[in-house]
Amino acid sequence: MKNLFLRCLTAILTVTSLCLAIEAQTRAETFAITNAQIATVSGPVISRGTVVIRDGLIESIGENAKVPADARIIDGAGLTIYPGLIDTNTSLGLAALVAAAPRPPGQGGPQTVQIAQQQPAQPLSSNSNFPNGLRPEQSAAEQLRAGEALFETNRNAGFTTVLTVGREGIFNGQSAVVNLAGDSVSEMIVRAPFAEHVTFTTLRGGYPGSLLGTFSAMRQMFLDAGRLQEVRKMYDKNPRGLKRPDADASLDALIPVLNGTMPVVFNANSEIEITRALNLAGEFKLKAIIAGGQEAWKVAPRLKAQNIPVLLSLNFPKRTAVASPDADAESIEILRLRAETPKTAARLAQAGVKFAFQSGGMSNISDFLTNANKAVENGLDRNAAIRAMTLSAAEILGVENRLGSVEPGKIANLTVFRGGIFDKTKAVTHVFVDGKMFEVKAAPKADERRPGGTGRPGGNQPTALATVGGVYAITIDIPGQPLQGTLSLTQQEAILTGSLQTQLGTNLVKDGKVTAEGFTFSSTAEFGGSTIDIVVDGRVTGNQVSGTFTTPQGAIPFSGTKTP
Amino acid sequence: MKKIFAFVLNILMVTSFWQVSFAQNRQDKNEVLIRNATVLTAANGTLQNTDILVQKGKITKIGRDLKASSGAQIVDATGKFISPGIIDCHSHTMLDAVNEATYSVTSMTNVRDVLNPTDISIYRALAGGVTTANLLHGSANAIGGQNTVVKYKFGRPVEEFIVQGAPPGIKFALGENPKRVGSNPQPGQTSRYAITRMGTMEVIRSAFVRARDYKKSWDEYRARVAKNDKMAVPPRRSLELDPIVEILEGKRLVHAHGYRSDEHLNLLLLADEFGFKVATLQHALEAYKIAPEIARRGTGASIFADSWGYKLEAYDSIPYNAAILYKNGVLVSINSDSDERARRLNLDAAKVEKYGGVPEQDALKMITLNPAKQLGIDKRTGSIEIGKDADIVIWNAHPFSVYARPEMTMIDGEVYFDRSKDVQKRADLQKERETLEKMDINRAPASGGANTTLPVVPREKREAHRDDADSIKDGGNK
Repeated sequence: MKNLFLRCLTAILTVTSLCLAIEAQTRAETFAITNAQIATVSGPVISRGTVVIRDGLIESIGENAKVPADARIIDGAGLTIYPGLIDTNTSLGLAALVAAAPRPPGQGGPQTVQIAQQQPAQPLSSNSNFPNGLRPEQSAAEQLRAGEALFETNRNAGFTTVLTVGREGIFNGQSAVVNLAGDSVSEMIVRAPFAEHVTFTTLRGGYPGSLLGTFSAMRQMFLDAGRLQEVRKMYDKNPRGLKRPDADASLDALIPVLNGTMPVVFNANSEIEITRALNLAGEFKLKAIIAGGQEAWKVAPRLKAQNIPVLLSLNFPKRTAVASPDADAESIEILRLRAETPKTAARLAQAGVKFAFQSGGMSNISDFLTNANKAVENGLDRNAAIRAMTLSAAEILGVENRLGSVEPGKIANLTVFRGGIFDKTKAVTHVFVDGKMFEVKAAPKADERRPGGTGRPGGNQPTALATVGGVYAITIDIPGQPLQGTLSLTQQEAILTGSLQTQLGTNLVKDGKVTAEGFTFSSTAEFGGSTIDIVVDGRVTGNQVSGTFTTPQGAIPFSGTKTP
Repeated sequence: MKKIFAFVLNILMVTSFWQVSFAQNRQDKNEVLIRNATVLTAANGTLQNTDILVQKGKITKIGRDLKASSGAQIVDATGKFISPGIIDCHSHTMLDAVNEATYSVTSMTNVRDVLNPTDISIYRALAGGVTTANLLHGSANAIGGQNTVVKYKFGRPVEEFIVQGAPPGIKFALGENPKRVGSNPQPGQTSRYAITRMGTMEVIRSAFVRARDYKKSWDEYRARVAKNDKMAVPPRRSLELDPIVEILEGKRLVHAHGYRSDEHLNLLLLADEFGFKVATLQHALEAYKIAPEIARRGTGASIFADSWGYKLEAYDSIPYNAAILYKNGVLVSINSDSDERARRLNLDAAKVEKYGGVPEQDALKMITLNPAKQLGIDKRTGSIEIGKDADIVIWNAHPFSVYARPEMTMIDGEVYFDRSKDVQKRADLQKERETLEKMDINRAPASGGANTTLPVVPREKREAHRDDADSIKDGGNK
């Protein structure tokens, strides 16, 4: 009887694993790209060779690599195979976190001595005693939304892997290295958590409300976490007669950081911000990584000496739209910053500082390669530039044993270009993520504003979409005080990016979609220190645009015309 | 009109001079001989036709016909006046944030964390002869943040600004500012305790009581550890209470912002009760009313020469405030509390001579040696004396003249402002600007694109604050 049961079980298990195997095979085919130039990055360029991909991995490469009988052959004549590009700082796949709601500020009395005792606002599902923004335990991996379609724009631009993390608060949470394909989070994750990310910012409606407090709040949390670890050790050894230490998720999350097992990525661009980050890291012996790094060259000797890598932003500062005729001349510091920033990469390379590129929140991902090329024009070695978006990136993210170069046994993340990566006429033709192929169809020549093409696996026919890209001068009909603005929209298929500029500031287009008749996007605006979420629906007819802004205060109509 | 234009141009150019400036500073470090000046020592009277020898950043000789080794930098100061570098005992220059206004007690904050060595106001202060400043937290809280004393080594890394060995200090604030910030919360906040003057005093008292208890818990813990008690659990370290314990232990200087004499007197009484000394009463526009009480406690006063009436509690002052305090034996300094007024503290000191007849040297001391004493750094700076840091200003005229302007400002024997070089560099800067403006990257696009960044408000556009509770500068360069 027992035997029969076991046999049944074995049978069931066998069938199940068989099914799994079949599914895996349909998901990851075997490919052979032949006759292609191969930029291995880890070794010399192979001018004409074959890359074989099987089960999501690179099986073999070389001039004479054998093409397996079961492989789907892709003729790579005229194509160059690069390791899949890595963007080392994004928030891809993360839903915007709940903004910290106003909460009562501290009072003078003893009840506010400890920030840990403050009333947290809208607690997340967490046993933290800290307010949003001071919650290092937040995990990108837990908040990631899977779904291949979400990552199409970036993948079509050649990216196969990104580091992703939230942007809210001082502690942005723990980042994850993810591959940009797969329909479940578990499939996408390459490494999580990677690092704790920190931004020197303030919290809305409570302590810390200034940069002064930002530092003291972080410092107190590091001290508290250190004490928690110490007291817990005592308690674990002999709990009798000791008060049980708190189990605070936020402090717990800082313990690996304090112990140096988890790096801290500091978002810091200016020389002084980087210096502050390095000082704080030195004070608590944190393993620091600098992200942003516009002026990192000014601190290069210290970065080199302390062996601190930089996730260098390619979102170079640019000048805004036309200055008002009344405006004063721009300060020479700003003029210099714009001129100097593209030189940073070359200077870091010269100083021997390890760096990788990141998109730095750029609104158009095609700027990534354009600006990497600018770094080359400003003195960076081409191969170093390529390395900074492949193998160096993988090294900093601690995944160089599986990503970052075209080598047998590594994950089959590849980006295939027609033409060299820095050629003006280059185009991404294929992107492989975990061995899964995405063909990128050539962009229609009539419209050069569509970088990266329109490809998608299976080659679905796109539905008819309105054409909405362009710059519109609009009037927002706020009762009694109409507001003039400039709406700049960039359309990539159904995806809309851009910005809305008014005298109240510039707001980026978020979650932009193009519909059959027009477009819809959301944005956030700041009024007197509080943030308002806006949803914009627009309709485009010829050169006319009209629609509504939906705000928490009600709907406001707008209309305008396209500027030539 | 032309003059105004020239002035504006001047400011624009001075703005960014530093970037191309003082790389050669370091090699000058060894030896400087300043020849044949009228030296206002701020300690031993005025010396005519006097040379000053500076070696390795220190004043090593003062006298006539001094010899320097070959290779020394020689500065001919014939017909010029020399004063010690000016010390500004109340400044918020080079701070990227001034007020942590969320709590009534923010002693855990430290302006050391937010120093910005690129602030152009530093260079302008140097151009006005200021070499040292007491950088204070704002006055939005009964007990504010910790201070930092710096020398204005513009162009050098921020670490080099810090005056090593200067005793740490902290800002207190009484009166309208802390109670106003409490009762006028930022959007999204409810009001903050305290919103009255009596509440402010209670906040301070309560902080000291808490600090005493906190110190006790640590003392008990240390005693248990000393007895090798394995069960002793370390108390939580409080960055808020640590500095207040230091006040109680006499290791931290209290700089107490306030206007009304009744409030300042209240604080002095509270200090008596808890057994600490207040280092300075800041602003203290009515201090003349309680001069003997201040003098008796050895507390200093750091005031404005003749500025008052800008708010109700600042109403009852007189230009003789400094003189009356001086005659009662109070250690007085004149401060700026302003990026702009910092540039002409010499004239504020001159006013003290005019109103009430404080002798010239004692008036000069109010912007040099006296603030050095108030900050506990008078052993090394504040006067022209052998063995002190070579913090030296060379003026074209007597610094109390309205025509006076610094020709050269030195810190530790290094030149950080040199008027003749400044004038030379302006053309270079103009040329650099023209080149930069022609670059594509600096040209305005024809219309708003999606990838543009907003212009950053230039630092020189930041307002100068007269009264620093309103100054809630935030978050650095964002």
